[in-house]
Amino acid sequence: MTPVDTTISLSVVLLAGLIHASFQLSISVLTLMSGHALGRKTAHHRLMDLIGGYLLGATVMVVLLLAFIAYLFGALFPGQIPSIVWVVSCSAAIGVGVSIWLFYYRSQLGTVLWIPREFARHLDSRAKSTKSSAESFSLGLTSILSEILFVFAPIVLAALVLIRLTPDMQLLGILLYAVVSLLPLYIIGILISGGHKISHIQRWRERNKRFLQFAAGSGLLMLGIYVYVEHVVVVSMLGGL
Amino acid sequence: MGLAVDVVKRSGRRKTEMFDTDKLSHSIHSACLSVRTPEGQAESAASHVTGLVTLWITQKPAVTSNDLRRQVAYHLHRYHPDAAYYYLHQRSIL
Repeated sequence: MTPVDTTISLSVVLLAGLIHASFQLSISVLTLMSGHALGRKTAHHRLMDLIGGYLLGATVMVVLLLAFIAYLFGALFPGQIPSIVWVVSCSAAIGVGVSIWLFYYRSQLGTVLWIPREFARHLDSRAKSTKSSAESFSLGLTSILSEILFVFAPIVLAALVLIRLTPDMQLLGILLYAVVSLLPLYIIGILISGGHKISHIQRWRERNKRFLQFAAGSGLLMLGIYVYVEHVVVVSMLGGL
Repeated sequence: MGLAVDVVKRSGRRKTEMFDTDKLSHSIHSACLSVRTPEGQAESAASHVTGLVTLWITQKPAVTSNDLRRQVAYHLHRYHPDAAYYYLHQRSIL
């Protein structure tokens, strides 16, 4: 693999991470958990512990998901990845992208998402009753898993691209994806720890929700089409020559 | 303290309950603290708004929890707009 190929692959991972970053469920849960903690007069250092635990849980789950899916693909397809896998993954990304355009937020005020209401109620009640950093760590893990319907597409594409890299670049790619995809969560965590009001953060999120929805959907569409062209169309054209 | 007014819960799935001024005051107080209002200001806002909402609710045999929420947010907005926003929208974050 040439340095140019590596750079292109890492750019695809970066774009997938950016798309993941525009998903909002884990940010909503962090906002709720912090709001409830502040409402209970939780001391500042306890609030920092809760936020730290939550961010660590979310980071661990993203790294585990990406590494697991990449390992699975590597074990299933030790040589070259069959075209059908690329086609299915790109189609899923395009489908999820269109779905995000149409359905991501429910048609009501606020930032209510199209996730199963049972999941939402569970996360809501857990966010309310989280009082220790171990619980917030577990909430961080769960919140990433709860948005698996949306994050699956960028993670799968990133994993498919990553397994073609050298081991050290794979590690770099996983770290790059984790940092980029969780950047908004870290920023919100820092803002809340720094004394920003939850209401201001929530207002900003509500004002910009349609833009984030459009960006996530369009990003997935572009990523799906780009990867399809690069790994299916170009490969089949070169194979035909 | 409970008043003889039924509060119909959201989407009608949970049982109705008696209107409880202590519960209302506690929820307003928590919302104020959630937006980093000082303790004294939070207590004062909770006490004033609870009084105003209790006055409004005594005329009615039953109210929905959504009506109650809107009424609290309306009165709380005068004392603390951020807390009013948070109180009104905390159920629509997730």
